[in-house]
Amino acid sequence: MTQSIVDFLEALDTNSKLMEAYKKDPTGTARAYGLEDEDLRLIEEKDWDEVKRRFDDASKATRVINY
Amino acid sequence: MDTAKKGSLTVVGTGISVAGQMTLAAKSYIENADIVFMGIMNRVGEHVVKKLNPNTISLDDLYEEGKSRAITYRQMADRIVQAVAEGNKVCAAFYGHAGVFVTPSHDAIRRVTELGLEAKMLPGVSAEDCLIADLGIDPSRFGCQSYEATQFLFRDYHIDPHMTQIIWQIGLAGEASLRVLDATHSHNGLVMLTDILMEHYPEDHEIIIYEAATLPICEPNIQKMALRELPQAKPTLISTLVVPSLGLPEYRQDRLAALGLTEQQVINYRQPKKEKK
Repeated sequence: MTQSIVDFLEALDTNSKLMEAYKKDPTGTARAYGLEDEDLRLIEEKDWDEVKRRFDDASKATRVINY
Repeated sequence: MDTAKKGSLTVVGTGISVAGQMTLAAKSYIENADIVFMGIMNRVGEHVVKKLNPNTISLDDLYEEGKSRAITYRQMADRIVQAVAEGNKVCAAFYGHAGVFVTPSHDAIRRVTELGLEAKMLPGVSAEDCLIADLGIDPSRFGCQSYEATQFLFRDYHIDPHMTQIIWQIGLAGEASLRVLDATHSHNGLVMLTDILMEHYPEDHEIIIYEAATLPICEPNIQKMALRELPQAKPTLISTLVVPSLGLPEYRQDRLAALGLTEQQVINYRQPKKEKK
């Protein structure tokens, strides 16, 4: 059964064993977790710009006015 | 007897990363709220909150290019306060620490309290906490001055170069209109900031531009450069400038004497020789 990259990112952030395995073998760990091919390719190619583009929106990061 | 349900507000931080920095208490307040408002700017983080409580409303749709962020933040607080006033147990979840560099969280708490209803904030993990961990900087080592770049440029603050400087939001340095949602307007502000810093530090003093990692597969972005190179930097909206200390200042002999101490005594207290067995 395939798993979403969103769940994989959450799991990496909360499961130290999974993170240690990922650091040793990123692609193998992502494949074993069940990522589908398109998401697996992001990990294989270390396409962090695309990952950030999909999930982060820094234009909404600022939340303060002080001056 | 008044049986009407009274609303309440709990403001929590979800941390800088997507899930792992959320405290157990924050998680519980999210789970048990009637409504959760989210200002998280990260889709994985939003997904995590939605799994805990499906009744979520994003606040991030209120951002618009060309619209004053002063209005955006007021509207965020309006949404939160209205839901509390309607009798809901409300949780407002902001990424990072909900009270660090967040205008609408503090405004919402103040306004809910003025209505005579309960409002509180829980501590969370802020970008400063990540910076301390990633750069190995202890703010107590030299003391620390921490401030927002534009506020510093606009007002008559003073730098103590013996302290570590942590200057936030350099991607908006000098941007007064509050109507831009990118870091392309910071050049003039960075030039001015560099000039001010060079009154206190040598031009080759090593500075750090830091961005915490928001996703667990990414490393923090740590760029080191000479101070004179700062105007050419390309910060983002989550970039922070760190200017390391020039070192501890001299001891104040008059204060030591007033306390019945000498410099050598306090050095010896700090660095005791091995005790004889």
